[in-house]
Amino acid sequence: MRGRFDEQLALLNKKMIEMGAMCENIIALSAKALLEGDVDGAKRVASIDDDIDHMEREIEAICLKLLLQQQPVARDLRQISAALKMITDMERIGDQAEDIAEIITFLQGRTGEECHDIREMAEATIRMVTDSIDAYVKQDLSLARSVAEHDDIVDNCFDSVKSNLITMITENTEDGEYAIDLLMIAKYFERIGDHAVNIAEWVEFSVTGVHKGE
Amino acid sequence: MTKKIFRSILLAVIVVLLLSFSVVTLLLYSHFSNVSTTQLSDELSLVVQGVEASGEEYLNEVNSKNYRVTWVDADGTVLFDTEADNTSMDNHKDREEIFEALTTGRGESERYSDTLTLKMIYRAEKLSDGTVLRISASQDSVIALLLDVLFPMIVIMVLSIILSSFLARWLSKSIVRPLNTLDLENPADNDVYDELTPMLAKINKQHKQISKQMKELRRKADEFEQITASMNEGLVLLDRSGLIISMNLAARKLFNADETSIGQDFLTVDRSLKMSHGVEAALNGKHSEFREQRGSSEYQFGISSIESGGKTIGAVIICFDISETAFAERNRQEFTANVSHELKTPLQSIIGSAELLENGLVKPEDTSRFVSNIRKEATRLVSLINDIIRLSQLDENVESAKEETDLYVLANEVKDVLSLSAQKKNIEINVSGESCKIKGVRRYLYEIIYNLCDNAIRYNNEGGRVDIDVRKNKSGIVLSVSDNGIGIPLEHQSRIFERFYRVDKSHSKETGGTGLGLSIVKHAVTYHDGIIKLDSTVGKGTTVTITF
Repeated sequence: MRGRFDEQLALLNKKMIEMGAMCENIIALSAKALLEGDVDGAKRVASIDDDIDHMEREIEAICLKLLLQQQPVARDLRQISAALKMITDMERIGDQAEDIAEIITFLQGRTGEECHDIREMAEATIRMVTDSIDAYVKQDLSLARSVAEHDDIVDNCFDSVKSNLITMITENTEDGEYAIDLLMIAKYFERIGDHAVNIAEWVEFSVTGVHKGE
Repeated sequence: MTKKIFRSILLAVIVVLLLSFSVVTLLLYSHFSNVSTTQLSDELSLVVQGVEASGEEYLNEVNSKNYRVTWVDADGTVLFDTEADNTSMDNHKDREEIFEALTTGRGESERYSDTLTLKMIYRAEKLSDGTVLRISASQDSVIALLLDVLFPMIVIMVLSIILSSFLARWLSKSIVRPLNTLDLENPADNDVYDELTPMLAKINKQHKQISKQMKELRRKADEFEQITASMNEGLVLLDRSGLIISMNLAARKLFNADETSIGQDFLTVDRSLKMSHGVEAALNGKHSEFREQRGSSEYQFGISSIESGGKTIGAVIICFDISETAFAERNRQEFTANVSHELKTPLQSIIGSAELLENGLVKPEDTSRFVSNIRKEATRLVSLINDIIRLSQLDENVESAKEETDLYVLANEVKDVLSLSAQKKNIEINVSGESCKIKGVRRYLYEIIYNLCDNAIRYNNEGGRVDIDVRKNKSGIVLSVSDNGIGIPLEHQSRIFERFYRVDKSHSKETGGTGLGLSIVKHAVTYHDGIIKLDSTVGKGTTVTITF
């Protein structure tokens, strides 16, 4: 009985890591498409988002099956419930990365080089997502906690991108639409950062049993 | 085992006790019955004598609780009874013992008395006057006697069972104790029951066998570890379900993993999509190969399945660091592209001029300009091809004859050759230092100084200067060529020794040159086991130092 349960837990763990890898991949592709002005690359992002959605369904099914059939308690229960919460955050990351890619197709190959904070922001966000997934994989509490600290960097970047774009609009009014698009992208990156923090918090919950958000 | 021995001992004791108890009880019972019947007979003869002597008076005096005395007439009528009223009693003539006494003089019987519902023992005797005296006692008295004895016996038995249980516990423990204290690490050293000796000998033998096999296994594992640890390539072994069995040092470094990763799913170590697809394919028996960036290096990953008996039992991942190969590959591709481009440009120009001349579209006074243009471009082509030939010779590492060559003399030669082009730009060339002889290929050494000097003049300002210095010091022979020209920007410094690499991307003809000079220098220096050092500041000049 326990053997089968462990097997299913291992499968859940594996699928979670795979989904995490997909999230890392999609956001890296979006960021790359943005920084290289690669419209074709941006168009490929949508198919990965579909994969992520599919994976979410799959993991959901595994979790529910585990909850119903095995009635887990204590740490196992925490791990499964945390997984259920994490996949919603991962799915949102996938959606927002896709949104970024969609905006990129409107930029006509412009790369946002006018405000280079956006590059820094993209890098910091990718790092956060990677760290939060790593924290899950290694069940590493200190890494999970460091993700929240990185969020401050992303938030600061967002503020400076915003002020950058304001000056850009006032100086060069024709580029208004472009500036708004960039602002949207920056906002999405900022949101992805928040989701990464959520994931890290659920990792912390699954290890310690205490959720930081409470 | 202790329990079992304890239980067996106790059981044996109880069984023996019970058996002996029952035997004793039986014996006692028969003994007591005998005693009581004898007593009864004695009593009867006493009573008979009494009655013979004094008749019914005697009977009235008999007052015994133990016996019942009945006096029966010859016709069976009861004359007297100690316990019941004689008038109400039946005729006793057909009672077994009375009938017997009447006929033979004595009678005895045992039966359940209707009146008292007890097993009664009867004895009867015929008196001299023909009447019969009967005496009876109940079995009760025997059992009561027995019970009196029985009670202390039961107490004794319970006490002995308790005692024997203690004894049995102690015994069983002392039997098992040597077994518990067996030294199984050294089975041969034990001195216990003889019956255990064959088993201990067997254990001893197996012990030795196991430790031998363990040693062998450990040696093999060590060997494997040693071999894989010193490999530059990363090597990871996975089992059928994708768990890591082993990882060598290089792989641990590459995947940033440690001892704890062993036994985990490979996904926890690396979760790149290509990798997980590759692993999955390998576990399904397919080989895959791909390249991916990891950190600052590029790696080639080969994933194959491990098969045994037609079944996939795992996968092996081999990781090669191909940064250098990839870099060289890129260089080669660039080189080919560059060569074709460099060769094509002068040819186009030659063809163009030639076509114009052929079609008579050139005015006679311009003809010489076109012809000299063709010659110039052709010369450029030839010098380019010469450079390429030289480079490819160096590439092929053709062993050329080495001879004693004086670098100082060579430097002066170069100075003479280049003085014309130097004069054009009003540049002064100075050779300083001392005569230094080196064993090397004269042509290559000349090439080194020539190209460095040529560059120093070419990328110099009007009226600049070039200093060639040759001298010997502790580290060897040092040749340095310095100028006060335009200098090389820092970001280009690492690449100027690449073929066709130009700081000035336009490949302008203004300065001439093939883009191969420094490449040749680098090769020639490497050929002579020298070291090149570049020191350049934009606007101030460049110093190239070569130490042989």
